[in-house]
Amino acid sequence: MGNIIINDLWSFLKPEIFIAGGIFIILLADLVIRDNRKAIHFTALIILIAAFASALLQMGTESFIFYLGKGNNHGLLAVDPMSTFIKLITIFSTILIVIFTITSEEFKGSKFKSGEFYTLLFGMLLGMLLLSSGADLIIIYVSLELLSLSSYVLAGFIAGSNRSSEASLKYVIYGATSSGIMLFGISILYGLTGTTNLYAIHTILVSPHVNYLTLGLSILMIFIGIGFKISAVPFHFWTPDVYEGSPLPVTAYLSVASKAAGFALLIRFIKVGFISSVGTNGFWNFYENFDWQLFLIILSIASMTVGNLTALWQNNVKRMLAYSSIAHAGYMLLAIAVLSEKGMLAFLVYIAIYMFMNLGAFYAVMLVANKKGNEEISSFAGLGYKNPYLAFGLSIFLISLTGIPPTGGFIGKLYLFIALLDGDMYWPALIALLNTVISLYYYVRIIKEMYLTKALDDTTIETSKTELTFMFALVAPILVFGIYFTPLVNFCTNFVRILGF
Amino acid sequence: MIDLIHFTIIIPLVGFLINGLLGRKIKNEKVIGAIGSGAVGIAFIIALGALFQLLSLPESERSQVVTLFNWFSVGNLEINFAYLVDPLSITMALIVTGVGFLIHVYSIGYMHGDKGFWRFFTYMNLFIFAMMNLILGDNFVVLFLGWEGVGLCSYLLIGFWYDRKFEKGTVAQAAKKAFIVNRIGDFGFLLGMFLIYLTFDSLNFTEVFSKAASGAVPEATFTLIALFLFIGATGKSAQIPLYVWLPDAMAGPTPVSALIHAATMVTAGVYMVARTSIIFASAPAIMTVVVIVGILTAFFAATIGLVQNDIKKVLAYSTVSQLGYMFVACGVGAFSAGIFHVMTHAFFKALLFLGAGSVIHGMHEEQNIQNYGGLKKHMPVTYLTFIIAAFAISGFPGLSGFFSKDEILWYSYSNFSLGLWIIAALTAVMTAFYMFRLVSLTFFGEERFDHHKVHPHESPKVMTVPLMVLAFLSVFGGYIGVPELFSGEGGNKFHHWLEPVFAAANGRLAENAEHSHFEEILLMALSVSAAIIAMWFAWKIFTTNKELAEKTSNKFKGLYNILFNKYFVDEFYEKAVISPINKFSEGFLWKIADVRLIDGFVNGTAGLIDNISGTIKRLQNGIAQFYAVIMMTGIAIILFWIIFSL
Repeated sequence: MGNIIINDLWSFLKPEIFIAGGIFIILLADLVIRDNRKAIHFTALIILIAAFASALLQMGTESFIFYLGKGNNHGLLAVDPMSTFIKLITIFSTILIVIFTITSEEFKGSKFKSGEFYTLLFGMLLGMLLLSSGADLIIIYVSLELLSLSSYVLAGFIAGSNRSSEASLKYVIYGATSSGIMLFGISILYGLTGTTNLYAIHTILVSPHVNYLTLGLSILMIFIGIGFKISAVPFHFWTPDVYEGSPLPVTAYLSVASKAAGFALLIRFIKVGFISSVGTNGFWNFYENFDWQLFLIILSIASMTVGNLTALWQNNVKRMLAYSSIAHAGYMLLAIAVLSEKGMLAFLVYIAIYMFMNLGAFYAVMLVANKKGNEEISSFAGLGYKNPYLAFGLSIFLISLTGIPPTGGFIGKLYLFIALLDGDMYWPALIALLNTVISLYYYVRIIKEMYLTKALDDTTIETSKTELTFMFALVAPILVFGIYFTPLVNFCTNFVRILGF
Repeated sequence: MIDLIHFTIIIPLVGFLINGLLGRKIKNEKVIGAIGSGAVGIAFIIALGALFQLLSLPESERSQVVTLFNWFSVGNLEINFAYLVDPLSITMALIVTGVGFLIHVYSIGYMHGDKGFWRFFTYMNLFIFAMMNLILGDNFVVLFLGWEGVGLCSYLLIGFWYDRKFEKGTVAQAAKKAFIVNRIGDFGFLLGMFLIYLTFDSLNFTEVFSKAASGAVPEATFTLIALFLFIGATGKSAQIPLYVWLPDAMAGPTPVSALIHAATMVTAGVYMVARTSIIFASAPAIMTVVVIVGILTAFFAATIGLVQNDIKKVLAYSTVSQLGYMFVACGVGAFSAGIFHVMTHAFFKALLFLGAGSVIHGMHEEQNIQNYGGLKKHMPVTYLTFIIAAFAISGFPGLSGFFSKDEILWYSYSNFSLGLWIIAALTAVMTAFYMFRLVSLTFFGEERFDHHKVHPHESPKVMTVPLMVLAFLSVFGGYIGVPELFSGEGGNKFHHWLEPVFAAANGRLAENAEHSHFEEILLMALSVSAAIIAMWFAWKIFTTNKELAEKTSNKFKGLYNILFNKYFVDEFYEKAVISPINKFSEGFLWKIADVRLIDGFVNGTAGLIDNISGTIKRLQNGIAQFYAVIMMTGIAIILFWIIFSL
């Protein structure tokens, strides 16, 4: 590793530096002011906001960091618009998760160690930030492990809860298996090309002397690691069990942020490694003989179909949302599978809105669970009358998840379908459309429960003004973007670019 | 002030939000009323400022677009939230905010003590907001937003007293009727909009109209677009065959009838036709359709108006009839005459409705004119202003209605035919007759109400002052559009003012033969004298010789019944449209199509999905080893696929 320029580090890695520093600060603060939980929440928020602001400031910059040297002008990390966008999404959802944590009933007890929680949360975030920029298989693997190890612990963070421990254990087993397979794939790819840098791999793969069978095997193995992170079928089995067992804020976090980071990795892996050029019409040109596009399409369709069909049967809303997030991962994967700039734009728009609506839905469910102690669908009976504000907010989130106007979810689907039709993918578009219809059933089932079913008991579900304000702060962008979406789309358009293309 | 034009839209919206969100808590009627009227008043002042600024600009620059923001752009379609300020839109904006302001002030008195006081002002401000979008929008989408918005407000306000009875049904049913009939028209308008987008690849006024003016589009396309747009107009502006909702709209509070169902919303169709004048001018066949529908509506509505006994019903049919005139004007290519009549009609018809409201208010909610009589001395201000409005609508020389109606009559002869003139003039005579029948039965003759129960009284100042202002406008409002016959070449200021807007359309329309001033004077003298005779005759019969009226109606009992029952159109629609639809819906759509086909299909699919998902669900059994097996199977399948595809 030749020339590391400190200046570069500071100008391109501020978010990562803030978060890494934040880990130490939180650890220290935990030692000093252990009993003052509020102060720790507050410190965490400040660090995150600083990181978010610095990520905003590096909008539009593009550069490699940690150059490999020896006349090679590739680096270990690539800072570019796409990775900046994913960083914004992951940091922003971490901020929201901190607010979740503050109001969560699961985290109210004396057993909850906020210092440790934030240290792990920040570890996860650091992993995601590095992952979205990673341009070298080694750093990709290391940051993926950082992300995974922290999340294994977070999934089982409620000490003494069987559900939580089971979730954590299953997560570890699957995580270890798939990361092992991925590492195996990486080593094969290294053996084929003699390098671990994606950009360098790109130049080598152009030559026709590569054994395609071995290459295909290694890509498939690496994809298993990625598929595990974005919970694509058939690598999704851990998802419902882990989501159901984990503390709700952690579930929400896994369903949004860690997926976003997984998608960032997938996009870079495909576009940098295997795309020869981007055509004038915005379509990516492959030089592989194996049809990776069909592979991605099949996986995405399988994900949305399995996710939606299984969600139909769930009586636990948290588990239902877990399946729904598998289905949404399917939609996003489909947007990427178009393999065009329009598809990328659709993905970015989708995930931005998905962050608001999915976190919002989880938050509303958490507010109910805070009072009821469970997330069974029967707990939602009569909510429309017990707490009209909460029920209204949750209804908006669910309608948006279905993709009905005038909500942001509709805009996400609209751009997805525009991209699909633009790429002449009529069959996948039709299947995605039918899937949306199926999903309507289970989302509306909750709405029906809230408004049409009489409550079995007369326990009240009260929410504080702060909690409602926070929830409506999530409702607002969904409704605004549902009607006036041009600013969002323009914003996302700035972030489609990847370093080198 | 032109740059501030969007505030004429935003401020009523703010008023709507304040009263809507806080009205229930404010409670104080004065505050709510002041917010509601104030918002419209400020909008009026801004519009007035914009008018003066526009006047100071040279004619060629009198069309300015104020863009607020880009609403959305998908593919080629780009829609801005933008407002077009030009002579046509600013004229309409002044009518809406000006008359709207007066009616808001009047409502403070009229709605006093109503439990829904705040709700009323909330809806009214929302209406002004939607109407201003309709008028000022710079593209069809914003126009449509306003178009649907006013429809919604109309529905909400007709059904304002939703818990009351109205005629044979309830107020809520009347509101529903208005909404559904309007939807039929809106559907036509939407189709027109789609066709415009397909043809011109844009929905922006400036772009569409310039492409339309440049030719290259076949006449058949124009005909279809104009037809669809006109269907939309017949819904909103209550023309045959969709006029049936307007008489029922009288179920709403009277100020609503004055504002929405007389002065502003119902003229939206006329405005839209005038706005798209180039499209209509390019479709001569539809222009003829517009004339025929307009004149038939004018004539038949006037005949119905002759025998109605509900004060608001008479005015409602009169409105339908006057709207018919406006369409006749547009159809013969005299667009500015149509807009001129929109303006004068707004003055005197709003005045008539508000006057009727004042009478109803003073008579304890009695609306049957047969139970009025001799109210002249009890309500002097109402009487005086009402009779001025009656003179104005009857076309009495020198008043506003004279100038605008006479202009339409003249163009119906000079641009179309003598036959059209005859029917239009006959309608004018009937108008004069039923208006003075109304005046006589209400204000003159013996007092026919129960003196023990009813104590007629004049309305408070907050209601009578708007009446006086409108009376002033009804008298003098016409002088900005004095025909060239009296004012000399180029003397019609209103025409001149609107000319740039209609220049393209006028250029496309065929030149008409020259007519002499003598013809114009002769026809005018004929129609005016006939109308005056009708006025005198009506006053004479219904004030002093009521037996004659009864005798006549007994003699022509058949005809009287037909008119009194409004040609049985409602009954006809019930038999010919509604009941077949109901039967078809029940017998086929519901019992066969829905229950057997759709439900069968849906339930079948649901069952299938149920089965599949039940199987998939079983895979997720919580056993970690089992998951691993499936995952590995999946990997193996993909691997084989890779191998075989190489």
